[in-house]
Parts: sequence; structure tokens; C-alpha cells
Amino acid sequence: MNVLQWIEQRSGLVSLTTDFLTEDVPGGASYWYVFGSATLFAMILQIVTGIFLTFYYAPSTASAWESTNYIYKDVTFGQFVISLHYWGATAMIALVIMHLLQVVLWGSYKAPRELQWVTGILMLIITLVLGLTGYLLPWDMNAYFASQVAINITSSVPIIGNATQQFLTGGPGIGTLTINRFFGLHVWLMPAALVLLVVAHLVFFRHNGSAGPPVDKDLKKLPQGRFWPDQMLMDAVASFAVFVVIVLLAIFSPPTLDVKADPTQQFIAYPAWYFLALYGLLRLAGQTPAAVTTIANLLATVVIPGALVTFLILLPFLDRNPSRQISRRPWVVGLTAISLVVAIGLSLFSQLAIQKEQADAHQGPFAPPVVAAAVTGGGSAPAVNQHGAQVFSQNCASCHQANGLGTPSVFPPLGGNPDVTGPATPVIHTVLYGLAGKKIGGVSYTAQMPAWKTNLTNADIAAVISYVRASFGNKAAAVTEADVAKVPK
Amino acid sequence: MAQAYQDPGTPEEQTRRQFMANATIAVGGIIGLVLTVPLLGSLIPESLLAPDKAAGGSWADIPADQIKALNAKAGTPVKITFSFKYADGYFPPADDEQFVWGIKLTPAQEATFKAKRPDLYTVPSAEIKYPAITAGFVMFSSICPHLGCRYAWDSTVTPNRFICPCHGSQFDAVGKKLAGPAPRGLDPLPFREHDGTAQVTWIQYKSGQPDRLIVAYS
Repeated sequence: MNVLQWIEQRSGLVSLTTDFLTEDVPGGASYWYVFGSATLFAMILQIVTGIFLTFYYAPSTASAWESTNYIYKDVTFGQFVISLHYWGATAMIALVIMHLLQVVLWGSYKAPRELQWVTGILMLIITLVLGLTGYLLPWDMNAYFASQVAINITSSVPIIGNATQQFLTGGPGIGTLTINRFFGLHVWLMPAALVLLVVAHLVFFRHNGSAGPPVDKDLKKLPQGRFWPDQMLMDAVASFAVFVVIVLLAIFSPPTLDVKADPTQQFIAYPAWYFLALYGLLRLAGQTPAAVTTIANLLATVVIPGALVTFLILLPFLDRNPSRQISRRPWVVGLTAISLVVAIGLSLFSQLAIQKEQADAHQGPFAPPVVAAAVTGGGSAPAVNQHGAQVFSQNCASCHQANGLGTPSVFPPLGGNPDVTGPATPVIHTVLYGLAGKKIGGVSYTAQMPAWKTNLTNADIAAVISYVRASFGNKAAAVTEADVAKVPK
Repeated sequence: MAQAYQDPGTPEEQTRRQFMANATIAVGGIIGLVLTVPLLGSLIPESLLAPDKAAGGSWADIPADQIKALNAKAGTPVKITFSFKYADGYFPPADDEQFVWGIKLTPAQEATFKAKRPDLYTVPSAEIKYPAITAGFVMFSSICPHLGCRYAWDSTVTPNRFICPCHGSQFDAVGKKLAGPAPRGLDPLPFREHDGTAQVTWIQYKSGQPDRLIVAYS
């Protein structure tokens, strides 16, 4: 206690904290009020995991993908930390939306809490910008092409579009400067703005007090609950539940890194789930008759999202209905319900359309080259080879390259390499147990082939060998899981 | 003061609140602990976790013309440059330029080498696990054993000697310390002839102490 007194006398920090925590909760503590705190928790998790990712991540075209791949493959707990950051982002956006919906339904944005609402909407926008800028940083195929789409949407804004786009990309197109700019936005500017807005949001919250339940009564006359510790414990329990879900997703469903961005390849970009609704609008606009497509595009990319944001910011000023009771606010509640249905509908529409395109691409002329080679190349079933292509791009392509040509004198080529297309047993042995110092076609290679036995299943190895032996111009027979199991060390 | 806090409540309520306060702090603590392990763990370098992986070293070829030049000047150290593949962090392996100071010993130097460099043979903590002299050649690491600067052969002073520009350590042609703060003589590196090519292994020894501790291999 003496330590706390010493600190209090010199800083006032203890009474400041106590004042902040001793707060009435009209109508008592409730799990309905946890969304704001849970969002704050997700933000802190993002900041903490993000800081640790910057110890490895390096923003440039030469290093963004390489350093991300290093985090996934080589850094101890690296994949776990990056997965926490990935699922933390999804959690943060989901919680921000739940918080917003709760505030709208409860009518807590009404006077005197207009500024809490406005800072909240600004934080929602910043959170989405964080999602958008973070999407580019891994610099894999989808990062590149999804950001390309997003940036081109910016350039479709009349008059200022071109300048805005170049300002964002740091030049005429996406390149190393774009990664730098997005990194600066994602890591410094947006988080700093977000933290300042959180402080403002909380100060306003403390000034106005808890909004309480959606009833048209004098809140002071309701029975009062305590913020500390009653509400705080509920907030902590909710945050803990969110944390457990994020950790489980990070362990059992980690994100994967695609092959490095190659602007010359065809790739069907897909947005993050929270942009699927906007993406759906864009697709709808693209299906309008040619005469109105330009206007429809403008509506979908600029006018409608812009109007939505403006409407959201102005909501407490537009909605003059003094009641907070849900049954007395048909307009706002109805509009919210319709918006939700439309957003979910558009998201589903986009998701299904993207899935169909990706499925079509595997057979059609627009197939990404890796997958196309898998389907047209070998004699085994396409399903196995698609799996092989996936195993290849996740484990082998970083050294042997997506085109299978390797790097001269470091990583041997796999295409046109007689050791690869020869008898299967030595090939299986090499993948299972690694290889070093062997001359291939009279050339020595400095890098070591790692042993994959512990990292890949026999089925994975059979699939990837079959894929390699049927791709990059190779036409050798596939191998089976049983073949792999037979090869001794 | 907020209304809810004006009445301290019954002893049961106070106990309950104390429990809730403790539970809140405990939940925060659990989250913090669960995060601390992977986050701090992610910063531990691989070289600390699995030092064996860094061990072993590989042979780097020395260009033939440099060995020729060295052979022609018996008794005089010559700067030998070579390169080896080195994977720096997440970058793919790339050529890394390095240099050593090589010397072709005269028969007289070879005869007295062991006596002049007792650190390499009689001090267990400073011994090297490979021959210092191979076919009359010695390859010295170009890193000063004092604090890691690059020393050079100075042929303008009499007698000629190795001088480190940082703190003035001096060594003779066989790497014996003549003057200055260096705690030991120069560090010879593994050298061999393989398929007609001269090869060296780059080893970085810990500086600033009389022992020879390996920090990293090429």
C-alpha cells in the first residue's frame, strides 16, 4: 500500500484510475455492454502481436513475402503469432460491428452521446483501413491482386481519383513504395489515430456515463450497478471468450501464405470477408447494361459507400426521435434490419460468385498456371494433383520457384531435370530425407534440400512428387502413397 | 461519488465484490501469460535455440590466382578474398564476400611456429581442433581478436607487422601478439586442398578473451 500511496502523492494516477472505475451502471451490469470492451481487447491484441511481427517483417518487394514466409516457416511460434494477428483482425471487425449494432438498437448514440458515436464511426473506418492496408503486406498473389482492385477503385473517384491512387501507391502502379506506404499506414499512422480516438471515446463515455438499457426513463432512478468490479468482470469474461476463440482458430485454422506476388500471372483476387458486401455491389454494377456501367460503377464504389459513411456519422443528428425504446423507433430499427439483410445477401452473393469463378478457372483458360499445370499435366486424378500443386506452392516454391526452375547454382531446377523424371525411388528418398552436396547434371548447388518426412504426410509427398513429375514440362509417372511408404532411409 | 458506491453493502456483498475484482485481474493475468510465451519465444534466435544447426561450417573455394600470388611471396602475408553462400535471415542464400590473411611460411617460420604460438597448442581453452598449418600455409581470420575490427599487414613499419587501427594491437607474421590490448594471437582458420582447389572455412571466434569460442561458421 505504501508504494501505491507514494505513486498517488506524486502522480495522482491511483485516484485517476479509481475515479474512472467507480462508475454507475444504470439498471446493473450486463453482458449486453461487453462489445466495446471486447473490441478494445481485440485492438490491444492486434497492437501487441503486430509489434512482434515487425521484429521480422520488412516492407519491400524484395523482402515482404520472404520475411512473411520466414515468420511462417522458421520463426519459433511465428505461425502462431501471425495467425493470432490474422484472426484477431477478423475478431476486431466482427466485434466493432456487434458494438455498433448494439448501440444502434439501444439508441445509445442519442444526445448527449453524439461525439461518442462520431468517434466510434471514425474508429470503424480506421479499423477497415487497417484491414485493407494489412491485406497487402504479405505480398503474395492474393495480397497483390486484391490490393490492385482496391486501389483501382480509388482511382475511379472523379477528378481526384488519379491523384489519390498515385498518392496511395507512391507512383503509377503498385510496387515497393506501395508496400512502404501501406506499412506506414498500417503500423504507425492508423494505430496511432486509433489509440487517440479510443482515449477520446472513453473520456466521452466517462463524461456521459453508461447509457443503460433502452428505456424512456430517468436513468438516475433505475437501480445502479457498479462498473468495477461487476461490469469489468463481465467484460473480462467476454474478452477471455474472444481470446479463446482466436487462439483455437489460430491453432487449428491458421492462414496460409500463397506464392509470392507475380504481377504477370492471372489470379482471381478475393477480398477479406468484411469487404465482400462492397465487392458484391461492384460485381452487380459490372452486370448492368454497357450504357450505364460507368455510372453504376461510380455508384457502387464511391457514391453508395460514401453516402453510407456520411449517413452513419450524421445519424445522431438526423434521428430526431427522442425515444430510445426499440418498439418506438421503427425507422432506424427497420433500416438497420434491411441494411443487415442487404449486406449479408451481397456478401453471400460475392462469396458464391468467387467460388464459382475459382472452380471454373481450374478447368478453363484462365486457370492460374500452377493449378493449370496440375490438371493438364499428369496421368493421375486432377484432385490429387491440385493437392500436389498446393503442397508445392506452400513448401517447395520458395526455393524451387513457382515455375520449377529454381535458382542457378543454389536451388536446382525441377523442370527438365532427369533426376526428377527418372526412377521414382531416389526422388521419394530425396523428398523424405533431404539431399546435400550432390551434383545434378554436373552442376553443384549450394543449398540443402531439407528432409520433409516429419513435416509432410506420405500422401502429401506422393501428391507433390506426382505434381512435380507432371509439371514444368515433365511427363513422368505419378507415385502413390504406398510407393512413398516403401522407401527406406 | 457515484450512487452505486455510496452504500458499502453487506459483508457478503463485499466478499463477493472482492472475489469479482480478483477474478477480473486473474482473467487478465491468464491472457497475458498465454501471450507472453509465444510472443517472447518468437524473438529467441535460432542460433540460441539450436546452436548445433549453426555448427559444422562449409568449405569456400579460394581463387587459384590468389594462391599463386601467396605462394610466390613466402614469408609475407597476403590478403585473400573469397566468397561463400550465406543465408542472411529471410533472404535466399547469396554470395557473401569475405577475406583472410594468408601466409606461406618460410621453412624457418614453419620450424618455430609451434614455439611462437603456444596459445594454439598448450592452452586447452584456446586450442584449435584442426591443423594451423596445412602444406605450409596459414590462413588467419581477418578479425582482430581484441574487439572485432579488421587489422591489416603494414609493410611501411620496420619490422613489418599486422596492426589493428582501432586500438593498436600488433601481431607478427605468424600471428603472435607483439603489443596492444588483444587478449590472444591471431586465429588460424581450417584450410585444405580439395580436387586441386584451395579451400578455407570461415569461422568467427568470440573476441575480447584469451579463449577461442566459436560464434558462427560460414
